[in-house]
Amino acid sequence: MSRYLTPSKIGLLALIALYTESVVPSAATIPILSFLVSHVLPINSSSPRNEAALRPRDSTLAIDDFQKATIGYVSGIPGRTIWDLLLNKLWKLNSFDALHVFFDSLSSLLQKTPEEQQKEAEEGVDQVLNAHRMLISRISPLGVFVRRAQLEFTRLQFHDGVTLWKGFVAYRTPTLAQWKKRNKTAGNTSFDVNLQEDHLGLGDRLTEVIYGELGMEGQQGLNVSTEDVEKLLEYQVDHMQRMGNRLPQVMKTKLRNMVESGVTVPSLSHYVSFLDSWKAGDYPSSFDKLHRYFDYTMHNRDRTFYQYALLNLAILHADFGCYSEAITAMQETISTARENNDMGCLNYSLSWLYHFGKAHPEEIHEVQKKGMLGTDREALAFLKAKAKETSMWTLLSTSLLSEAKLALSNGDGAAQALESILKASHLNVVKNVSNAVGSQMSMQSSVFSRLGVSCQAWLYEELFLQCYASPCPVEDFVHCICKSAFILYQRGRYKQALARMEEVNEETLQTLRYSQYWTASLGLLKFRRHLHRDNLTAAENVLAQLRAPLNLTQDLQFNISILEMDLLIQRRDYSKAMEILEDLATTLDEQEADIYQRVKLMTLKALIYDKAGIPQKGFSVALRAASLAHRSRLLPALWEAVGRVCAVLLSLSEFLPAAKLLESIMPQVLECEDCYLSAQTFALLADAHVGMAGQAKAETLQRKEQLTKALEHIERSFDEYSRIEDVRGQCEMMAKKATIMHLNGDPVLANDCAAKYLDIKKAAKDQG
Amino acid sequence: MPAFSKASAEYIRTALQEAVVKCSERCLYQSAKWAAELSVSLPVLPSASTSFNTDIDSQMQDVDQPAPSVVLSSNKDAEEARLEAQELSRYLLAKSYFDCREYDRCAAVFIPSALPRGPLSPNSPNTKKGTPTKAAKGKGKEAAINAGIEAVPPSNILPPMSQKALFLALYAKYMSGEKRKDEDSEMVLGPADGGSTVNKEIVGIIRCLEGWFADREAKNLGGSNQGWLEYLYGIVLAKGKTEEDAKKWLLRSVHLFSYNWGAWLELSELLNSEEELRKFVPALPQNIMTLIFHLYSSQELYQCSDSVHQALTDLENIFPNSQFLKTQRALLFYHSKDFDEAETIFSALLHADPHRIDALDHYSNILYVMSARPKLAFLAQVATATDKFRPETCCVVGNYYSLKSEHEKAVQYFRRALTLDRNFLSAWTLMGHEYVEMKNTHAAIESYRRAVDVNRKDYRAWYGLGQAYEVLEMHLYALFYFQRAASLRPYDPKMWHAMGSCYDKIDRPIQSIKAFKRALVAGTYYDQASSFGSGTTTGEPNAVLDPETLYQIALMYEKLNQPEEAASYMEMTLAQEEGPRDDDDDDDDGGGRGTGVTNTTSKARMWLAKWEFARGELGRAMELANELCQDGVEVEEAKALIRDLRARLESRRSPS
Repeated sequence: MSRYLTPSKIGLLALIALYTESVVPSAATIPILSFLVSHVLPINSSSPRNEAALRPRDSTLAIDDFQKATIGYVSGIPGRTIWDLLLNKLWKLNSFDALHVFFDSLSSLLQKTPEEQQKEAEEGVDQVLNAHRMLISRISPLGVFVRRAQLEFTRLQFHDGVTLWKGFVAYRTPTLAQWKKRNKTAGNTSFDVNLQEDHLGLGDRLTEVIYGELGMEGQQGLNVSTEDVEKLLEYQVDHMQRMGNRLPQVMKTKLRNMVESGVTVPSLSHYVSFLDSWKAGDYPSSFDKLHRYFDYTMHNRDRTFYQYALLNLAILHADFGCYSEAITAMQETISTARENNDMGCLNYSLSWLYHFGKAHPEEIHEVQKKGMLGTDREALAFLKAKAKETSMWTLLSTSLLSEAKLALSNGDGAAQALESILKASHLNVVKNVSNAVGSQMSMQSSVFSRLGVSCQAWLYEELFLQCYASPCPVEDFVHCICKSAFILYQRGRYKQALARMEEVNEETLQTLRYSQYWTASLGLLKFRRHLHRDNLTAAENVLAQLRAPLNLTQDLQFNISILEMDLLIQRRDYSKAMEILEDLATTLDEQEADIYQRVKLMTLKALIYDKAGIPQKGFSVALRAASLAHRSRLLPALWEAVGRVCAVLLSLSEFLPAAKLLESIMPQVLECEDCYLSAQTFALLADAHVGMAGQAKAETLQRKEQLTKALEHIERSFDEYSRIEDVRGQCEMMAKKATIMHLNGDPVLANDCAAKYLDIKKAAKDQG
Repeated sequence: MPAFSKASAEYIRTALQEAVVKCSERCLYQSAKWAAELSVSLPVLPSASTSFNTDIDSQMQDVDQPAPSVVLSSNKDAEEARLEAQELSRYLLAKSYFDCREYDRCAAVFIPSALPRGPLSPNSPNTKKGTPTKAAKGKGKEAAINAGIEAVPPSNILPPMSQKALFLALYAKYMSGEKRKDEDSEMVLGPADGGSTVNKEIVGIIRCLEGWFADREAKNLGGSNQGWLEYLYGIVLAKGKTEEDAKKWLLRSVHLFSYNWGAWLELSELLNSEEELRKFVPALPQNIMTLIFHLYSSQELYQCSDSVHQALTDLENIFPNSQFLKTQRALLFYHSKDFDEAETIFSALLHADPHRIDALDHYSNILYVMSARPKLAFLAQVATATDKFRPETCCVVGNYYSLKSEHEKAVQYFRRALTLDRNFLSAWTLMGHEYVEMKNTHAAIESYRRAVDVNRKDYRAWYGLGQAYEVLEMHLYALFYFQRAASLRPYDPKMWHAMGSCYDKIDRPIQSIKAFKRALVAGTYYDQASSFGSGTTTGEPNAVLDPETLYQIALMYEKLNQPEEAASYMEMTLAQEEGPRDDDDDDDDGGGRGTGVTNTTSKARMWLAKWEFARGELGRAMELANELCQDGVEVEEAKALIRDLRARLESRRSPS
């Protein structure tokens, strides 16, 4: 494999030479030039990063592509297309020597350097320029390409040159038939004039010695240069780092073939394989490969890359749960980056450390004591300032989002969070930070879901999936999918939720972390469904599976614990549930956890007291939860807490205030589109009305009225319960309904309800 | 010998095959290869081969059937055979070490104790000179040697072993010394590579062999010597620059065993001139190898007379398919500057065996001279495809780059060739040429010097040295080298011409004229020689003399104040424009035609015009000046002359 030159590049050079000979008519100039430029310029500078622009830029250029690009245009010579002329040019390279001559002649395409011009003027050489020939400026893209090609050719060792030549012969062979049409004398051996002169056939021994491999197919390795492979690998690394996914299997084999065909393995390929095994969750081999990459890179870069090595190492450790080592590595990174004045690296590591601290507060204590980052707020302010200073817009945007997140989890109110999000959004739009859009949108969606505007939250998720999925990291995509599936579940649409989960493709799930997250989310969904269906054994099985992976995010683990408690409550094992709750509460206190989680726990505590038959004991906790939720605008949590308060009120026979309170929150509860929440609230409301009916005198209109209202709410609650397939709730409602019917003195209807109750139980059992 | 009998062909075949086995037993790979190639090139016996294509196989069978144990040769000498049988396993061990290039280990199998090492002491050659003669006298030689080499035990210090084993062990020692020598020389043309590093094993080997031979003589076993140790002794003596002795021992070796091509090669390297060869021939054994040797040496000494060609033809009758002989033929043509013929032969050789790299460097030289760039590139491609790390391949590639005027690259490849084999003669010479092109005269001189050290018969290196000194304006030095070159190639006008201009530079016009005249003679000789045996050129001798030389001679005469003589040579120069027989006014200077108007002839014309002007022959001067104007060379000066002439004519006319 040559360093730079490939047969296709020879083709490009020939086309450039053709272009300068003024045989390209003006109609064809622009297409030909754009064809040339699109293959001559490096990838990065073709700025629009859409996939469409990248795809045709396959690393190699087949001879057919030349044909397609040129055959449609007539040339300045009558009766010949540009393709014909190009063929002529290519087939004129009829020996290795001709190739040398071709490369030597390339300098005549270029303008002379000032020194050369001066020399010529001194020597009195007349500028007998061919009037038809245009000269390429030395610093134009084409000029640079031509000069580079010429230089690289000079640098080639003889046998490398021979390899290039043979590659070119093989590359050109498919056009032999077309060349024969124009040139009758062309034969099978006309690729080398020496063979032709000596009348040697393809099977001759001498031919065999030189062109022996030509007969065999599968020489595609010759057509890529080290430079091409390096570009490809760079693209690969960029993609993997940006999107965070793994190499597709097909691409992997292709890359391996390319890399194996050459003797010099670019060290970047080690990096690619490191990234791949990292994403695959193969800790030992990724560790090994990272070290291999840096060992191979050390010697040929004069700039010290030590901090990057450490950075990678730290992230790697963190990903595999070696937190303390990760922190030491990162601290080392930060100090080296400071030493070397590498602001980019420094800022990135600081931001990483901050996020790491958020995710693993227990590990970061040590660091915080040393005051490397100060408090969260200070750290963010510092990061923002730094990012602005060095105009690292991605970092600034993520810092702003982190600020929003901090505000949310501290319960500082939505306004501040929204302000930060808007700032980030502005930045994303103005500075075209397209890959930060994902986290911004998901942040927006979670703000709205905390505000209880479920439809808005849903809208943002959809927006992201529709418009921004491709340029954003895969991680955002997976999170978004899981979140929107959760929203669907809340609405009682299990099927759609599951279908949404399936939208994640297999390639994405090859990365261990995403697949863990995704599986856990799916498990939670299923767990909830089983719980609702009163299918406790299945739920327990799922729980066991959910517990298996070790390093899930704190978020997921919290949810799992909550659901576990739900399960225990359903089993009426209140003391155990309480135990878990207390444990969880202490850890949350230690970690300065998200306010939402604390409110959730408090509400749950009240619920347990309620279920255990001592509802009054949960009064203060429910009230505190409500006030906390109110203060930090966690509306769904607020309504739930209010429900708990009402339950206490009911137990104290304060039916009227409870009913009033519940009725006042009802519209907003409905807005949350959370079926379970609304079902519970309706049930409470029905209870309140029944209570009020009990307080009224028997056989009065008032009692009747209250009972009717209660029935109505029971009906509504039953509907909500059935939407979410909650068997217990449905049964409870049916039982209540039957009781009321009975009270109303309507035994037939009561009987009907009782029968329905039995039916539901039976159906649930059958399903289970 | 047109009727070469089948029986003798068969005899030679058997002998060669035996030689192959013997050579490979002694790890003389190149000699084995040569003998094997030659044996295959013998005509196929019609009875032995059923089909034409399987001749190689059938020959193999021929060998196999009569002598099944072809792996090891049998030995007729009972004593030797007994020793060989005894040490068989050790011998096999040693040979496998040798094959793995573990030379020291190989030597230690048979000679465990260390031989004395160190550079050759100045007195040791003297002692050796006496050795063989004294050894012939028999007793009493021990004391003599003792006196010569202080403190070294003269007698055979070696344990008893067969000659084969001894040869292998000592040869391994020699090879290890060579290897170490190469390693010590480090980079090509580097500070340590001054040709001063020596093979430190040589002393030990010489003493060992001296003792051994003496011992043999003492025991009156000299008759049962096999020739191999004599060969080795010859080599080491040649290395120690005691050439007469070396020749003697090599001669003894070829008498004892004729089919060792290596010995012949060494011999041929020791012969410096044709006379020496002629004197040497009678001493040689009378067999086919002598003929081949004679041919080869003549070729190496640039003899390409009819008789040599005839000898070659005779040999080719015996070995019709020998690539070696064909190569010799091509080289003969090359020496006589018949490049087309040489090219054809080489091309055919290449087609017949594309994997053969031997002598391809000569082929590339021919293509270089013919400026056949595509073909040269192709050849380089072929060679590279077979083995890119052979000195020949590197030379071919280097020649290609040289032809493309990419001298740095060319040097790089020549250096690579030399790294692979420091004794690769043509690479040294060619590298010298490249350095001359790159104006690095000192490096050029060193390269040429090394070439000459390797082979004193390389006239190109001598000539190159001369040229380099000429560039440095050290003409007296240059003259010496040109003389050497001319003595090697007495019929090459280039050498004489160079010598002539050298004499001119050091103000010896008479010698200069002599040299130039030699050049003229040589020129005509070569033109005749080139037409030998080839149908391409017309049989007509080309009598065009080199105008440049003629012009130079004229200038010399002018220096000697012999203007008449000078003028006549100037006229001769002019005459060459048209050639000896101009039937038509063809401007093209084809084969037998004149040179046409060249710079030199124009200069001569100008000189003549001025001379005529000075003599007062105004008409002739005018004519010449006008011709000059027509030819468009030096128009300005010619016009000025015409003006002067007009003025003179006017002034002459006006008084009258």
